[in-house]
Amino acid sequence: MSLTSLPMLLAQVTADDLEREKIFLQHNYEFLSYGLTAAWVILVIYLLMLLGRQKKLKREIASLRAMLEDKKA
Amino acid sequence: MRDKILYALGAVALAILVWNINTIARLPEETRQGMVFKIIFFHVPVAITAMLCAAAALVASVLFLVTRNFKYDALAVAVTEVGLAFLAANLITGSIWGREIWGIWWAWDARLTSALVCWLLYAGYLMLRRAVEEPTQRATFAAVFSIFAFIDVPIVIFSIKWWRTQHPQPVFWGGGSFPPDWTTHFLWNMLAMALLGTVMVGVRLQQEDCQRELDSLRREAHAM
Repeated sequence: MSLTSLPMLLAQVTADDLEREKIFLQHNYEFLSYGLTAAWVILVIYLLMLLGRQKKLKREIASLRAMLEDKKA
Repeated sequence: MRDKILYALGAVALAILVWNINTIARLPEETRQGMVFKIIFFHVPVAITAMLCAAAALVASVLFLVTRNFKYDALAVAVTEVGLAFLAANLITGSIWGREIWGIWWAWDARLTSALVCWLLYAGYLMLRRAVEEPTQRATFAAVFSIFAFIDVPIVIFSIKWWRTQHPQPVFWGGGSFPPDWTTHFLWNMLAMALLGTVMVGVRLQQEDCQRELDSLRREAHAM
């Protein structure tokens, strides 16, 4: 693009165009962040569920073992 | 030892993801779609991880039916559950991308519908496991169900080739292309998601071990 055509090009861009572009970019960014947050929230919730379940199982095993040892004694 | 390996793999996956998210955020916008295009860096790796989990579930289910070894049944349930979480992330990120680019949250096209059906089938697999009490019967029914559920996986993958869909053609085998540095970041994310999936499967397998131990302790307690 030559230097003389740049001012002509800029003259064709109206304030409405700029406003529309700004709204598009904001909207676009908003949806990208929703997407990434959703992906992470699902995986983190599942990971926390896994760890919670693991803790519960280990607690149950420990209490059953203790109960069995008491009975044997 | 196994715990330590799992924690180390998890730490590596997180480190790659944190570094990669930072780099992806600084990549330029895609010409037509803008910033929201970057969802592809997560949407596709989670989908591939989910499909790999489905393939692993198929192999484990077949091996269980052949050998009757319960370690394959444990592997099948572990990979199915993890795959379901990844597929849920895939469906939701895709829906958010669709809302921005298509203007709608959901379209009943072949790719989206078959992916939803796949999610429902594997959710059904987990429900079936809860419904059957007897372990051998449960593992056999679940293995057969898992093999049938896998029929949907090639439909999900090839639906965009077989039918005209609203879902775009894939970047890598649909005639599109990424700039080379974008491909590198995509592959890093792919590796990180696969590692994260492996860690989740490892933790879920440990739970199956714990569950078996708990069941045998309960039997012992009842016998006393």
